[in-house]
Amino acid sequence: MTDCGCDKAKSELEEYLHRELSDGDFLDISEHLSTCKDCTAEHLVGLTISEKVRKACQEKAPEDLRAAVLGRLSELRS
Amino acid sequence: MSLLAHAPERATVSDLELALMTDINEPAEVPEAADPRELFEEQAIPFMDQLYAAAMRLTRNPADAADLVQETFIKAFQAFGQFQQGTNLKAWLYRIQTNTFINNYRKNQRNPYQGTIDDLEDWQLGNAESVTQSTSTRSAEADAIDHLPDSDVKEALQAIPEDFRMAVYFADVEGFSYQEIADIMKTPVGTVMSRLHRGRRMLRDLLADYARERGIVAKPAASRQKVSRSAK
Repeated sequence: MTDCGCDKAKSELEEYLHRELSDGDFLDISEHLSTCKDCTAEHLVGLTISEKVRKACQEKAPEDLRAAVLGRLSELRS
Repeated sequence: MSLLAHAPERATVSDLELALMTDINEPAEVPEAADPRELFEEQAIPFMDQLYAAAMRLTRNPADAADLVQETFIKAFQAFGQFQQGTNLKAWLYRIQTNTFINNYRKNQRNPYQGTIDDLEDWQLGNAESVTQSTSTRSAEADAIDHLPDSDVKEALQAIPEDFRMAVYFADVEGFSYQEIADIMKTPVGTVMSRLHRGRRMLRDLLADYARERGIVAKPAASRQKVSRSAK
């Protein structure tokens, strides 16, 4: 296999991260990452941002909201 | 969705029952005797935490977020007859919430970018891409971002334009596909990609700034040192 190179990899890293690439492109990028430290480091920044955002947004709905919604729904049903 | 978008504030119960009756002979997963409205509680209520988190990103305060979520559930309940069992309920709920927000809340909020943000050039957004970083700088950047507290990440999210923020939220928090995000935000997939790319770029720059302000020093990640923070 020929390496797809840094330009293709860098331009598609975001779609790679979000699993939006075709199988062929996905494999190309994986292959490139396995040998390129620079693109791997860039990918790590992307992964870190995704993971930090995901963790920061794990909120719980307040209990009184839950109660209010269930209350309104049972009103609507009756 | 177009139905919902133009629906009056409160659909009447009789409209609702009509809609429900027409859908009564739906496929297997729906138990014959079950009232679809009973299914609603079972299926939709578990998404409340996620809808609330998204509502917080949209409205930026707990009271408005709670109102938005409550209204979303009421509308969704009233329209549940139109939901196709077996399709993505969470995405359907997000579509309703996004719509409700746009119709009821957005107009009350100051939003200077509205309607034009996708048209702005990158330099106008202040995020020209730099491609000159070295590998070790990139590693240090990931490390520094990783050390930031959740409060900084939320602050950075709030600081970027709403459409970019929500594209990032849907992709990175909810893991929706680009097509699903396009459906929720009613925009072409290409626009979703552009919003994601620009939103993540802005986030990255903001988070790098926050790390610097907190004195989280960009050290090569190879040493993998824990870096002390000045605050929190």
